[in-house]
Amino acid sequence: MTGMAKNSTLPGSSTPRKLVDGSLIFLIALGVAGAIGVWFLKGPDVFWQILGHEVVFAAALMPKIVAGVLIASALPFLISRDRITAAIGPESGWRGLAIAAAAGAIIPGGPSVTYPLALGLMAAGADLGAGIAIVSGWVLLGLNRTLIWELSFLPADIVALRFVLCLPFPILLGLATRKLWKDFAP
Amino acid sequence: MNILIGTILLAIGAATMLRHLSRTQPDALPDIFTRTKQTTTFMVPRIFAGLIGAGFLAALLPVDQVERFFGESAGVTGVLFATLLGALTPGGPFVAFAIGASALKAGAALAPLMAYVTAWCIFNFNRALAYEMSFMGRRFTAIRHIVSLPVPIILGCLLLVI
Repeated sequence: MTGMAKNSTLPGSSTPRKLVDGSLIFLIALGVAGAIGVWFLKGPDVFWQILGHEVVFAAALMPKIVAGVLIASALPFLISRDRITAAIGPESGWRGLAIAAAAGAIIPGGPSVTYPLALGLMAAGADLGAGIAIVSGWVLLGLNRTLIWELSFLPADIVALRFVLCLPFPILLGLATRKLWKDFAP
Repeated sequence: MNILIGTILLAIGAATMLRHLSRTQPDALPDIFTRTKQTTTFMVPRIFAGLIGAGFLAALLPVDQVERFFGESAGVTGVLFATLLGALTPGGPFVAFAIGASALKAGAALAPLMAYVTAWCIFNFNRALAYEMSFMGRRFTAIRHIVSLPVPIILGCLLLVI
């Protein structure tokens, strides 16, 4: 596992990355099922409208994806593996998970920021538990979304209650992952 | 517009990193570019398939009527049902918050509302299909979803008893 930045595995890849694998087939099957459903239940017009919209959106997303992947690929070279491993590696305990969760909650940006970051950090020495804590910190406590979106729709006391109740979970989920998937090797 | 700002910020971040690396470890650059090319090639078909598929599925789900369901079943059943609805509510940064707000106006109880919003935050199937599976892989996505499954249910049930 050490020196992963030097060998041929891609950052954070959990499985050998074949271009066509189960996950792509799954996505395509789901898409085809959805497409058939829309075509017959909503009509061809809606089908083409959605297809056009999503294709344009995905295309517009591409430069962002490439930039995110570049960052994820560069991260393992930028920060020393020892420091990452000490901070959020497998032996970092709940403090490491707290650091990871806080990073996920504080770093602004959507999925094309947080996932490459988690991926890059996992390639640079963070363990699976820390990766789960980063993503969980972002989805449950992400300050950007909570402050901008959630507060504009829901009453402040409900938002605060949800935030406080969710506070321990990214750490707990990271701990549970470390316990349950101890043998997970990236 | 959001995409543009995000793209520019990420591009600046990437350029800064690369500039720094070109001075400190120039021999790492070809390796980084190879990885980037491989990962991008891996991701592009998945992003397209995920976004298009999620777009179709979202059109088939009657989410605009979700708030009707909040009042109909109470207690633990209501929390479980709200969790399911939250997981099935498609993406966007605020969709579930908007639905939660109108459910609240329509008299929804706190426990199912909390379960609904939390479940959406955790699972959001558009995001999982298009982004998480592509970036993190099937295994990471599956593990995160499995360990997170109890969270909205615990929160909802907690609010039922306090």
